Parts: sequence; C-alpha cells; structure tokens
Amino acid sequence: MELQVYIESGVIESYVLGIADPEEILEVDRMKEQYPEVQQAIDEFSIAIEEQAFKNAVEPPEEIKQQLLSSFQFHHPAKSNTETPLLVAYKSTVDNETPNISSIPSITNWKYLAAASIVLFVVSATANLLLYNRYTSTKSQYVALINERNSLQANNQVYQTKLRDYQSATEMMADPSVAMVQLKDPAHKKDNMATVFWDKKTKDVYLLTNKLPAPNTNQQYQLWALVDGKPVDAGMLDPLCTSLCKMKNIPLAQAFAITLEKVGGSPVPTMDQLFVMGNI
Amino acid sequence: MLKQREQSAFSYLYDHYSGALYSIILNIVPDRDLASDVLQEVFIKIWKQIESYDNIKGRLFTWMLNVARNASIDAVRSKGYQKSQQNRELTESVYFAGGSTETNTDKIGLKKVVNSLKEEYKVLIILSYFEGFTQEEISKMLGIPLGTVKTRMRSAISQLKQLIR
Repeated sequence: MELQVYIESGVIESYVLGIADPEEILEVDRMKEQYPEVQQAIDEFSIAIEEQAFKNAVEPPEEIKQQLLSSFQFHHPAKSNTETPLLVAYKSTVDNETPNISSIPSITNWKYLAAASIVLFVVSATANLLLYNRYTSTKSQYVALINERNSLQANNQVYQTKLRDYQSATEMMADPSVAMVQLKDPAHKKDNMATVFWDKKTKDVYLLTNKLPAPNTNQQYQLWALVDGKPVDAGMLDPLCTSLCKMKNIPLAQAFAITLEKVGGSPVPTMDQLFVMGNI
Repeated sequence: MLKQREQSAFSYLYDHYSGALYSIILNIVPDRDLASDVLQEVFIKIWKQIESYDNIKGRLFTWMLNVARNASIDAVRSKGYQKSQQNRELTESVYFAGGSTETNTDKIGLKKVVNSLKEEYKVLIILSYFEGFTQEEISKMLGIPLGTVKTRMRSAISQLKQLIR
C-alpha cells in the first residue's frame, strides 16, 4: 500500500522529467533497486513521454544533418566494453566500436570567441606595458624624491648646528664676565684679525678667527696666553672649526697671541711666525 | 568501411530522434535559428557521450531528452540570448502574461499539454521543466513557501501524467 502511495506521489514523474531534488533522485534510485514496481512506473512514464514527443515531432531544417555529418570525422574506432543496447539499429551496425570525434564542429560563434580572446589578449598586453612604464617612471621619481629629502635633511642639520653655535656665541658675548680681546697684526701691516673670548669666572677660552690666511696642510695655528711675560700654550686651532672654537682653559693672562706652527703644535712659540696679538 | 558504418549509425540516430528532440528544444528556445544551433550541439553531445550512456539508468530517449532540455536551458540562460530577448521577455514571459500571448512554439509538443493545465500548476511546470529553476528558486520568485511549492508541484505532475496518458 505504502509503495503505491509513493509511486503515485509524483516523485517518479519529477525524476523522469529531471526536475526532482537531489534527495528525491537518491531516494528514487534506491527505491527502484529495491522495488520492481518503482522501476516499472519509471519505465511507463518514460515511454509515455517518449510517445508524446514522437507524436509531436517537428522536422528540423534539412541542412542540420548535413552540417553534423560533415563536421564529424569517423575514424579510429576504440574498443568499448559496455554494450549500448536499446538502440537496435545502432547496435547492429556499429556493435562494439565506438565513434570518435576528432574535431568539435563550430556551431555559430567560436570564431567570435577566438577573435574576442585575441582582442582581450592584445588589450591586456598593452595595458600591462603601459602600467609597467608608468611603474618604472614613478619608481625613479620616488627615488629622486627620497634623495632630495635626504639632502634637505642633511642641510637642515648643518643649519641647526650653525644656529646653535651662533646662539651660544651670542649668549657668551652678552655675558658681562666674558672679556673680549681683539688680536691684530703687531706690525700693523696686514689686516689679519682674531677674537678671543675669555670667561674670567669659568676660565673658558673661545677663539673666533675673523681673518687669517689658510695654513698649509702640514701647519696649524696655535693660541698662546702671555702670563707675566711668558707664553703658555692655550691649544691648537682645529682646522674644521669654522666659527667659535673652544680652546684650553687659562686661569690668568695679560695677552693672547697666535703663531703658525707645525701640525700638533710646539712647546714654545715660533716668534717670527707671530700672526696676531692683543692685550686684555 | 568503418567510417561508413559509423556514419550510417549516426544517420539512423539522427533520423529517428531529431524530430522529437527538436520539438522539445523549440518548447524551450522559441527562436528557430538558435533552436537549430542547440539541436546540432545536442547531437554532438549525444554522439560523444553515447558510450558512457548506461541503459540501467533509464531509457535512451529519456537520457537524450534530458541532454536536449539542459542544452536548451543553457542556451536561453546565456548572456547573448538574454540580451536579445530582454524586451520580448517582459511582454511574453509565461508566468506574467499567462497563456494570452502564446507563441507558435507553445502549441507544439509537451508545452501544448502543459498549457492546458490549471494556471497555478502551469507556472510551476514551466519554471521548473522549461526554465530549469529549482523549487527553492521558484518559491522565492513567486513568494510562495517552499512547502507549498512542493505539494503543488506534486499535484501539477499528477495532472500532467493524466493528460499525457
């Protein structure tokens, strides 16, 4: 009884028409193995549909068959293990040989597809090329910008250092306990000039070279403090120092002088190389 | 020799089945030129796959019919066809306009039978069988609960079964 209900539920027809759910298909597949009645119902409806279709057959255009025949190439038959029954005429003529199709015929638009794919390829290649060019030029611009930024940053640091030097120099000069000593050519022949700032409290000595000829590479200017008529070494002038240069501490002095000595300095000043001098 | 035998086998297959298959294709693809393309495609598929066809799974014609139905639905769903039919579909769509604007291809084959069904059944068979929508999709399209779609579908099918017999 229940089997009859199942058969008449409509699921068999859905199955044959190909509109059944996946679960329904599994179910019918299982049921038809188990119950010959189900298989019979499937066959009956299949035949009904088949007869209906043949009764309503519509003759297709003549040329389709010719097109199909010419597009197939019948050769290289392969052996098939499974028989293909039901189609009696087919079986008797072909038997165990299986057809082989070496070329799939063009229906209507493979040409368009091929043309479209070529066009797409060309477009894509062109776009790639354009983008690559743009990428390389952007990359070089980027590198240039990085370099520019680096040099700007370096310049900025140079200016900051200079500014800091000038600031501390200004502060020092404004300090009342700092004595400013102008050193000039003792013979008054050349306009060589230097300035010594001497902090009487801290005993710090700073030297500013206003105008001194550039020394040879093996020579270096040396500052001297004259204490009770005797010269005391006050330090070598660093050739890299361009503004206010810190020298040695001097506790007491009456005058300052600069001589040109060999690199590293000398224990006693070379008096014929005296460039500038000034009293406090 | 072999070539000739294969050719005559194909000729037989074509002569015997093309008319029945063409009628179902026309039910789904009303455009005759496109339907002819689909018929060609269907025979190529059938010929290529005939060795994998298993008669335990069902009758040969049932299998061929499903190949034809699927190929037709695919053709109708393809973008190019959709575009060309966009305007027509608005006025001719079966489930909007009912049977009032039947095309010629509605008067042949299985569709003729389906068109004599009650309106609410006809819609379900057309959407599922001729247009290939799942029951879930149909439930969403029509705004009817899935359970209702399922029970109505069963009734529609048993009605159809009576008409075919």
